[in-house]
Amino acid sequence: MNYPAWDVPYIGGTWVIATIAIIHVLISHFAVGGGLFLPIAERKALREGRDDWIPLLKRHSRFFLVLTAAGGTVTGVGIWFAIGLANPEGTSALIHNFVFGWAIEWVFFLVEIAAAAVYYYTWGRVSNRVHLQVGWLYAVTSLLTLVIINGILTFMLTPGPGWLEVAGTGQEASRFWQAFFNPTYWPSLLIRTLVCITLAGAYAFVTASLVKGADRAPLKESFARWSARWMIPGFVLLPAALGLYLAVLPPASRDLLLLGVDSAGAGAFTQVTRAVLFAIIGTATIFPIAFLLVWRDARDLKLGHAVAVLALALLVTGATEMAREMLRKPFVVREYMYSNGLRATEVVQGDALDKPYLDSSPWVRPEERQAWAKSSSRSIHHMARGEMMFRGQCMSCHTRDGYRSTRKLLANRDRNGVESILVMLHEQPADSPYNRFMPPLMGTEEEIAALADYLYADSTAARQAYLEEEGLTEPETAPEEQPEETQQPDPLTTLTPDE
Amino acid sequence: MAKSSSIDLKAVGTKVWDWCDDRLGLEAMREMAAEKTVPVHRHSFWYYWGGISLFLFIVQAFTGLLLLVYYRPGPGAYDSVRAITYDLQFGWFVRSLHSWAANLMVVAVFVHMFSVVFMKAYRRPREFGWWTGLALLGLVLLFGFSGYLLPWDELSYFATAVGLEIPRSIPGIGTLIDNVVQGGPEVSDVTVQRFFALHVFILPLIFLGILGVHLALIMKHGTALPPSEEDKPETERRTIPFFPNFAARDMVMWLITLNVLSILAFLFPWQLGQPADPLAAAPEGIHPEWYFMSQFQVLKVLGEWIPGYAGEVIGIALFTVGGILWGLLPLYDNTRESGARGRRATWFALAALIGLIVLTIWGYAAL
Repeated sequence: MNYPAWDVPYIGGTWVIATIAIIHVLISHFAVGGGLFLPIAERKALREGRDDWIPLLKRHSRFFLVLTAAGGTVTGVGIWFAIGLANPEGTSALIHNFVFGWAIEWVFFLVEIAAAAVYYYTWGRVSNRVHLQVGWLYAVTSLLTLVIINGILTFMLTPGPGWLEVAGTGQEASRFWQAFFNPTYWPSLLIRTLVCITLAGAYAFVTASLVKGADRAPLKESFARWSARWMIPGFVLLPAALGLYLAVLPPASRDLLLLGVDSAGAGAFTQVTRAVLFAIIGTATIFPIAFLLVWRDARDLKLGHAVAVLALALLVTGATEMAREMLRKPFVVREYMYSNGLRATEVVQGDALDKPYLDSSPWVRPEERQAWAKSSSRSIHHMARGEMMFRGQCMSCHTRDGYRSTRKLLANRDRNGVESILVMLHEQPADSPYNRFMPPLMGTEEEIAALADYLYADSTAARQAYLEEEGLTEPETAPEEQPEETQQPDPLTTLTPDE
Repeated sequence: MAKSSSIDLKAVGTKVWDWCDDRLGLEAMREMAAEKTVPVHRHSFWYYWGGISLFLFIVQAFTGLLLLVYYRPGPGAYDSVRAITYDLQFGWFVRSLHSWAANLMVVAVFVHMFSVVFMKAYRRPREFGWWTGLALLGLVLLFGFSGYLLPWDELSYFATAVGLEIPRSIPGIGTLIDNVVQGGPEVSDVTVQRFFALHVFILPLIFLGILGVHLALIMKHGTALPPSEEDKPETERRTIPFFPNFAARDMVMWLITLNVLSILAFLFPWQLGQPADPLAAAPEGIHPEWYFMSQFQVLKVLGEWIPGYAGEVIGIALFTVGGILWGLLPLYDNTRESGARGRRATWFALAALIGLIVLTIWGYAAL
């Protein structure tokens, strides 16, 4: 536990990242697709003498500049901010491996942003040839940012055997390119490029819908219909690209996907299947919607119609990104680092999981350690220790009271029931159903007991508050029916300071 | 070469069309659909809700057929729904689509009904359209009520038992409910069998008949204009052909509805509670489905004011009178020239809408 934990109530750090990231993905993919759209459209207008397209393209490039340079940049920095706080260990691992990759990406990004600004501000001020060249510079650099970041994102799901061989040895950078061109790199790049092209068309609908007046109807129709053609590559090739992607997924990720085919149960573990299914249905319907609303009725295209297509694209993008993140479960970098920051390569060695988790934490004061050493199982220091364990090893995925709420998940368990789950996570028996979805739990017997007490007290407190609020009473269990091991003192009602 | 091949394809297409046209009269249908027009104005959005309701019915018919393959009415009902939800591939998805489509259909039918009221689309000569529509609404609610029991879990059992108490308070109806609907003095697996027959055969048969008449009436009378459009001179009114223009937009709404439906099914897949146990105590806060909540709340409040049988009878009488008045709206407010009657009808509808919403929210808040 090298870093402090970021406690975001109810939604958790996960959703902070997800919210920013989904907006960023939608904007940045438009930046790439739109980067291709603008010079290709400009070239078509110049070659075919369609002068009426030029003011429209200028307007589109302004919309494009504001959205990508302002929205994309802010959300991009937002992602760094959020991942650094929510999962500092994982962020640190990525930086250590890909600092060179990110440096390249930022060079491309800087050129991209500068070219976008020059492209917009030089409409009619430089020759058509030079203007078009600036457009192409933008298109190429924005595509290259995707080419780079795709390597880092796919690495997290499939780091590949070459890189894993040296993971944890300090020689990771020597396999940079193997990590970069990992098994899911090409299918993912194909999918993302197709999504970029599709989104470029979808965003252009907004510009087309703003063309008003009967005399400009032919312009509106020609621009909207041409933009609609940008959706065709995605419509034709996305199913095959998705098939390729699924074919190279690690077997464990495929198993996770299949779990949700059979069942709506199993808690949150089936969410990934549902997200993928929605992405498939949404993608399959967005194309006929665009055909019927835009291609067929181009002259009557309204802003509401364009926004409806974009909103659907946003939902599909959100579902796809969520699925991609969840497919990594229980890792942040598959087979290397678990989502709670533990390194897989370290915890499989001997009794590594039995070592004290909090001993090396710089976020525990010496007096706290002394208090822990002297504390009884009912003390507030014991609870504080449990809370530190929770913050360090649970909170990267769970919240107490909202998303993947530990209070809800543990509501029907007694103190020993809570501890038995934790012990199972700690010992990782081969038949444990949690092995596929949850990281191992590190810590000494005392630390795990403290975590169990903390979680039990927290869920009990929540349950009691709810019962009081609703004017209800806890159902009584007949003493003879109550298993012996459940007759434990309630830590919530028996807390005592040690000193 | 390519050109001649495309001409050949066109010729083949024409031959196929002609062959079908001779036998099915496709051209006549196409011409009729093209002649039909739909008004375009700022309230046009509300025209799509009838189509959305129809789409949701189609989804339910299709998913219902799939569920029929595995569902076992009677004592095995719970286990079969458990298998559908937690064991069978995509069983949970089909069940969730079915259940969410049922709920969304009630929403769509209500929106459709109130849009008809506020656009005065029940006026002459569309009275029968209004009455068949109300009959369809009643059937949709019955579909919901009968389908809710079929999983045979704790919640469905008690909600049905509570729901059947309402009509039982109508004088002379109690015995009929026991003998015909429940199949005994209590809700039991026999009731599940009977509700199943009602849900998958009797109600669909009646529904399809009335739906056919409803759609035929729409084709006959066309789409109604709201009063604000009727006041405009004909030259200022805009229309689009029903086919293919309006049909294409209808299709877009269907696709969007499909997405809403799948989002709901994926975010909130329908789960299954504990098996029904008639001997167990009813869970806290048991209540009927949301679309019966307003009536439930009225009966609850009346029960507090006038305890006992009298309160229930007054409640039922209120619903009956309200329903009759609602059905008679087209006879009261019959033409554009209705004047004050038209305004009163609008206020009545507004009061009904606000009443439904407030009572439903109140019902949930009071649980």
